[in-house]
Amino acid sequence: MKKPLFLLFVLGLFTACDDTTLNDNKDYTAVLENTVNNVIIRTYKDLDDKTANLVTALTTLENNRTASTLEAARGAWREARRPWEQSEGFLFGPVDQQGIDPSIDSWPVNEVDLNAVLTSPNTLTKSYIDGLEGTLKGFHTIEFLLFGTSGNKAISEFNNRQFEYLRACAESLKGATAQLYHAWQPTGENFGQTVREAGKNGNTVYLSQKSALQEFVDGLITITDEVGNGKINDPLTNADITLEESRFSANSKADFADNIRSVSHIYNGGLNNVASGISISDLVKARDAILDAKIKQQIADAIAAIEAIPGSFTVAIFQQKSAVQLAQTNVRDLQLTLEGGLKPLLDKF
Amino acid sequence: MMRGLGKRFLALLILAGWMGCDLLSSEGKGRDWASLGGLTSADAVFSNAFQLPAGNLSPAEIEEHRLSDVAFESIFVTAPATVNSGLGPIYNQNACSSCHSKNGRAAFPTNDDLGGLLFRLSLDGTGPMGEPREVPRFGGQLQTKAIFGNVPEGKVQIGFTEIVGQFPDGETYRLRKPSYTLTHPYALMPSHVRISPRIAPPIIGLGLLEAISEADILRNADEQDVNKDGISGRPNYVWSIENGQQMLGRFGWKANQPTLRQQNAAAYRDDMGITSPLYRTESFSDQPQHDGRADDPEINERTLYLATYYTQSLAVPTARNQEDSDIQNGRRLFFKVGCEHCHKSSFTTAHQAPFTFLANQKIRPYTDLLLHDMGEGLADHRPDFLATGHEWRTPPLWGIGLTQVVSGHTHFLHDGRARNLQEAILWHGGEAEATVMRYKQLHKKERDLILKFLNSL
Repeated sequence: MKKPLFLLFVLGLFTACDDTTLNDNKDYTAVLENTVNNVIIRTYKDLDDKTANLVTALTTLENNRTASTLEAARGAWREARRPWEQSEGFLFGPVDQQGIDPSIDSWPVNEVDLNAVLTSPNTLTKSYIDGLEGTLKGFHTIEFLLFGTSGNKAISEFNNRQFEYLRACAESLKGATAQLYHAWQPTGENFGQTVREAGKNGNTVYLSQKSALQEFVDGLITITDEVGNGKINDPLTNADITLEESRFSANSKADFADNIRSVSHIYNGGLNNVASGISISDLVKARDAILDAKIKQQIADAIAAIEAIPGSFTVAIFQQKSAVQLAQTNVRDLQLTLEGGLKPLLDKF
Repeated sequence: MMRGLGKRFLALLILAGWMGCDLLSSEGKGRDWASLGGLTSADAVFSNAFQLPAGNLSPAEIEEHRLSDVAFESIFVTAPATVNSGLGPIYNQNACSSCHSKNGRAAFPTNDDLGGLLFRLSLDGTGPMGEPREVPRFGGQLQTKAIFGNVPEGKVQIGFTEIVGQFPDGETYRLRKPSYTLTHPYALMPSHVRISPRIAPPIIGLGLLEAISEADILRNADEQDVNKDGISGRPNYVWSIENGQQMLGRFGWKANQPTLRQQNAAAYRDDMGITSPLYRTESFSDQPQHDGRADDPEINERTLYLATYYTQSLAVPTARNQEDSDIQNGRRLFFKVGCEHCHKSSFTTAHQAPFTFLANQKIRPYTDLLLHDMGEGLADHRPDFLATGHEWRTPPLWGIGLTQVVSGHTHFLHDGRARNLQEAILWHGGEAEATVMRYKQLHKKERDLILKFLNSL
């Protein structure tokens, strides 16, 4: 009578505890510091720098209206768009809490109001644009004016007010990216310190280092879900191009690939495939090398499949369905591994 | 020898099990206090903690939840537009998520854009359905924004008075009392307009609150204070458009909405100027800002359904460290000083619920969904159906400890005036006065335990 009960009890302990680390004194400071300093803050710095270039390009365009300055401005828009998309794997903190995101990336564009502003006598300055809703500024408004709805707007189709609006709109966007960059720095609210010093006494945001790591990983899951089940899926399954985010610039594929690069940057602890310090990947590798290799491979596969979609995404959802579906499958596979492998592993840290 | 070793190994193992896993308390008592939303609960201590789908959704329901998320995030623009058409012409914000960012609580505003703070307006008396009497030319809510070329109804100037108080042990505290002045009215504003500030609350667990049976809510009502505990607890009864009759009010700071569907449809219309199958005309259709377009309803039944589904199918975050002795002691004090009289800790949702994932859930919302007199300090002096100008509905406390990580602030109460949980407690008056007195008389260490408990929710 006694023996089976006792055995059951022991068995119960085993199944309840699984392989939970019972006494984990691991210090994750290095991972937090590397991720914040060398991935997040660097990405925001890049965004702010590239947005400054966009201001310059649109100022040049306003002063010298040629096909080549127009092309240069479009290139500057794409360049500035990259670090923004590469930041979407970590949409937490000031970008949301200071209401910055709507000023940068609101969609759709409020075309009716935009046309009304353009035909109004109002002076188009940075501060005027600052006071408008997100749907009248940021990347998508600039995209709409700069590329036109078919992506091939000729220099002759622009009017004076549009050039003015574009320049002021870029200046306003630059204000938002500067605010975002500084919010993570000691020069601003220093949110970077809040994350780096997770778990330290008096930190009321991240009560443990593990909770900051969970913040990172949840961000990765969220963006893969967004790309696979939202950004790719919604236009594809509804066969509706109006649901595509960067349609006017035909930049959607780049957007999606850069979103997955943000996953790579956070996971591998550095920009552009160069680790700049201890990463989440290192933590995973020490515990489950197979899982680590799988995540890395799936990130690479997802980016490759997105970039392998022939032509523009707008056309591809009709004419290259299987290529789009493959990209979607790869992104979803990555999401499943992050959700079903990485997250549970981290929960046991 | 072997036997001896084996025994010691086993003993060690059991010890390790007890210490590391806290098996009995985490699976028994502790767990019970942790799963605030029953099986809808999800473990989350990060900024997306209020954005997770309920833990017990089926794969099909998760997909529906994802679609509903899109509806909730949709940003509206001026008509005519291919996508999300119909904003305004006057409005407060252009998307659900503008006020409920990350599904959380809005901060007290710091600039002209009032963010997630809006103002209800009324004149003395009631309308035909018992609702607050509308203000001519302004309706029941001040729309502070307008699409281009249109005039908002007005702006609000905010001022503060600092109040200094002291605990019996000598520690001092400060409260800020906001005052609100309507400015820049677009038309003649009648005198004696009553104005009530309302901040956007978190939207987790709402489906569960809707699934509590009316009988279970009314069981806690004690309008005449028969049990002489100083706490009445009154149900609000409000107009249900779809049922064409008065119903128990559950949602909003004064429990002035009977269902999530009506709550959401009213938010679409009043906050964003978006008409729906439930409210087919703009609330300001008799005002000069009305565009006269024949595009109503601006969202269809499916969108209204999805937005409502979103508010029904979110997870409630699991409470943290409920077996921790400080938190257990804090909880005991929470009960002892009397907070739990209104912030009720236990309900089981009804067998019949809109969705099976909401049915039969043992939940800990820490609300009774009833109206209580909160005293002069918090009074808005604006009745709302049966709620008096001193009454507010007990807000749920689940998720309250995650406010900082989700929303980046700790502003509480109906207008966000409290800058932290203790200030929120100290603002309680009226029926809660005796409880607050007991709180103040605690040692600082004990007050901190209550705060620690609240922060674990």
